Amino acid sequence: MRLEKDKTGIARHRRWRGLKDTLYDYGQWLKLWGILIEWALRHPVLNVRAVFRYRWMLSYLTVPSFFDRLAGRMGGEGLRACRMNLNTVADVVTKDLEKTLMADEHLRPGNPNSKKIIYMDELIPKLVTAGFSDHVTILAQAIPAYLPSLINQHSPVHYIEASESYGLPADVCPLPSLEAGIAIEDDFPKVGCCFISCNMPCDGSIMTTTMQDRRFNLPTFPLNIPLRWTREDTQEYAVEEMKACIAFIEEQTGEKCDWGKLKEACERVNEQSRLKMEKWELNRTDTPPFIGGGSWIYRIFSYEFGCANPRVLANDRKVNVILRKPFEEGRAPYPYPKEVRHRAVVWNTPANMYAHFNAWIAECWGVQVVCDMIDLQGTQIIDTSTRESMLYGLAKMVQGSTMRVHTKGGWEVIMNDLWAKVEEYRADLIVMFDQISCKGVAALKGAFEEQARARGVRMVWVEQDLMDPTTISRRTMRDQVNQYMQTVMGETPLDGDLVDFDDSEAW
Amino acid sequence: MKDLKHIHYYESLLESAHNDLVRQAREEGGVAVGYTCYYIPEVLLNVGNAFSVRLRAPNTGSLDISQYYMSSLVCGYSRAIMERAFEGGYNFLDAFFASETCQQMNRVVENIHLLDLIENEGFFHSIIDAPMKVTPHGVKHYTNQVKTRFLDLLAEKKGVDISDAAIRQAVKEHNEMCDIFEEIDQLRKEENPRITATEFHKLCLVSYACPTGKILPYLKETLEDLRSRQPDEKNPYRARIVVVGSEIDDYDFSELMESCRAYVCADRYCYGAIPGRQRIPISEEPVNEDGEDLLTQICRYYLETSQCPRFMSREKVEGRRELVKQLVEEYHADGVMYEQLKFCDFWGYERTLAPVVISEELGIPCMSVDRDYAVRGSGQLMTRVQAFVESIEIKKIQKGGGVQ
Repeated sequence: MRLEKDKTGIARHRRWRGLKDTLYDYGQWLKLWGILIEWALRHPVLNVRAVFRYRWMLSYLTVPSFFDRLAGRMGGEGLRACRMNLNTVADVVTKDLEKTLMADEHLRPGNPNSKKIIYMDELIPKLVTAGFSDHVTILAQAIPAYLPSLINQHSPVHYIEASESYGLPADVCPLPSLEAGIAIEDDFPKVGCCFISCNMPCDGSIMTTTMQDRRFNLPTFPLNIPLRWTREDTQEYAVEEMKACIAFIEEQTGEKCDWGKLKEACERVNEQSRLKMEKWELNRTDTPPFIGGGSWIYRIFSYEFGCANPRVLANDRKVNVILRKPFEEGRAPYPYPKEVRHRAVVWNTPANMYAHFNAWIAECWGVQVVCDMIDLQGTQIIDTSTRESMLYGLAKMVQGSTMRVHTKGGWEVIMNDLWAKVEEYRADLIVMFDQISCKGVAALKGAFEEQARARGVRMVWVEQDLMDPTTISRRTMRDQVNQYMQTVMGETPLDGDLVDFDDSEAW
Repeated sequence: MKDLKHIHYYESLLESAHNDLVRQAREEGGVAVGYTCYYIPEVLLNVGNAFSVRLRAPNTGSLDISQYYMSSLVCGYSRAIMERAFEGGYNFLDAFFASETCQQMNRVVENIHLLDLIENEGFFHSIIDAPMKVTPHGVKHYTNQVKTRFLDLLAEKKGVDISDAAIRQAVKEHNEMCDIFEEIDQLRKEENPRITATEFHKLCLVSYACPTGKILPYLKETLEDLRSRQPDEKNPYRARIVVVGSEIDDYDFSELMESCRAYVCADRYCYGAIPGRQRIPISEEPVNEDGEDLLTQICRYYLETSQCPRFMSREKVEGRRELVKQLVEEYHADGVMYEQLKFCDFWGYERTLAPVVISEELGIPCMSVDRDYAVRGSGQLMTRVQAFVESIEIKKIQKGGGVQ
């Protein structure tokens, strides 16, 4: 019998993982509650008002369940890395949420704290504003849109429907549609002395920015990131844009950029990148120590939200020590899943509404996802020796932002990197997400099919709609894998209880 | 009204991308350069012995093959171009220039390359990176991209003359064509216009789809004919509409509008005359007063006049709406139609928000529709247009004005 109840997905009890791991897991779960309760009690009235003001706030109440889903049946090093990463996310996000609400003019009209905030598109790493320490940078869409869409699959539906009721076509990607819906409903916190928008990651995101810009009504700098970002002849433009962006922030905030602080931040990011690269290296071994949503979600978070954050860097160091340890001791890390039948690369954007998909495919079919496309971003090491080299490195790092690092820059970027990763990780299966509204990748569908066939690589297509479960449900996603594994691969599941179940009402 | 001179010839030219004039130009040693978007400076593809062909896929039927390669959720224009390439319809092309302007069209060019679809020895493609706002460093970047990834390649691979003199000659010819269009355009402002919207659409399409030098003599004669043409006594139109939106390369659209007695008085859509058929100002001297060389002046012109919704800076976003307002006033329009080719993300968003601004803030009647690539016989679209025309008439009655 599944641990979670049908439909609602609520766990009947905490998962038994053996004495040591269960105790560890329970301790981390309590720690998470501690973070949440501490946050709630610091400004109880404000937080209650925020819950009534913003529909998306309710999703944050379900975070413990979300983290449990991501941890799945992990144990040992993987469990520790997963829990440590996720609790770091909770710690940093609650602090940013607190700063946002404390400055919000919706909750307190005329709030003077608002002008101390630089509002920035979530696809731009916070590193860009690291030279402005008198101001707080808030990634505009991260807290109201992106994170809730991961935590609770139903969270985006209301806002997507609001966009569509307003006239937005239903075929556009749900991510920008969700953001447009939040803007239409005026559910973005009202903060900021200026807004830094950008043209990432895709065409839809460019356009939803115009709707947000109209709602924010702040002085806006649209940061243009070259699309053909791998070419050297686009880098001068990228650097000029970065300079213009920094000059704009100086003008709007009245604060001069502290290049020394920016340099320190770049060096912290470089260390974060090196630690990430080490994790990838460990996953290339026969016994990958850490896979799943706790890894790729944390990577997105640490690239954009937690970029150069000392708290995040400290966690990275600790996690790498844990993951490295079994290799140093000459033993295998905790096996997850218990029986590994396939090493897989997951390509294209994962479904936010099913962030724990990797856990399911591992536990049900023994598919160990050793590499996620969404995990591969922005590890360009920044040369901090001169201001120019630093700006070049910063501009280059930003160009390698989430998703667009593969979806922009030409077909070579997304296709050739896939074949490279299949080889590097010695994968025998590709799980290809067919994110139906992602037209840039969809338009290469035939080419992917033909090249995979020519290379003799097995590829299972999984249709999904990123964050809209009303189009394609989790269950439908699972069905596609089930059919492939049963009919094409002729395999039986590791756990028959996981093949087909209803989690339509689950968060 | 009697038939316009050459109008049937124009129709025949629009039957195929590889039309008579394109064929002639190639036989005379011309280098055919295909493109699909205003971001690719048309005039610079007409330097030396090169000539531009803005690609269309007339008489599109099944899109099965392109759907397999590109999915069914990619815009109809992109899929139609891809399908036509599969059918061999663009084998006359020597080059295909594109920009990563919209991801879907970018993928068409990439698929054509990956699948090696153009059976023409020496065919090559090139894709530029284009900015989404107008800044001095953006103009510099764009100019550099156009130079190194279009012009230099034309010179290197096809021996095309890309000198300043050749560019000036191309601009001169382009401006000559634009003079014709500007005069014809004035006729659309007449209360009882002597040119139909469909006719104007055909003229505009042939000017994009044929070599400029080849189509010019015909356009001159058509203009002569128009100067002395008398309109029908009774104005057949019930409403004058400014059409704004994504790519329309099929004059059936204008025919459909006219069948509902709506006159498209201004065509602010991709493949339309606004922008695209206005003179390009260049300095007589090698550099202008701002120190810009000839190429930079042309590239800046294209960036500044582009009305693509991918331009995301606020002055461009507001400028697009301001232009629509100006067009309504200048062309005495009764309303605005925002149209979007289905699955076009850029215009999908633009036609969501802009009509709200146009109707609620500027008080101009506005409708918003999505449509397929081929619109012939689209009952749904016709019903929407008829309803819009009626709503405009009702508004006129409510304001105390008459209807025709």
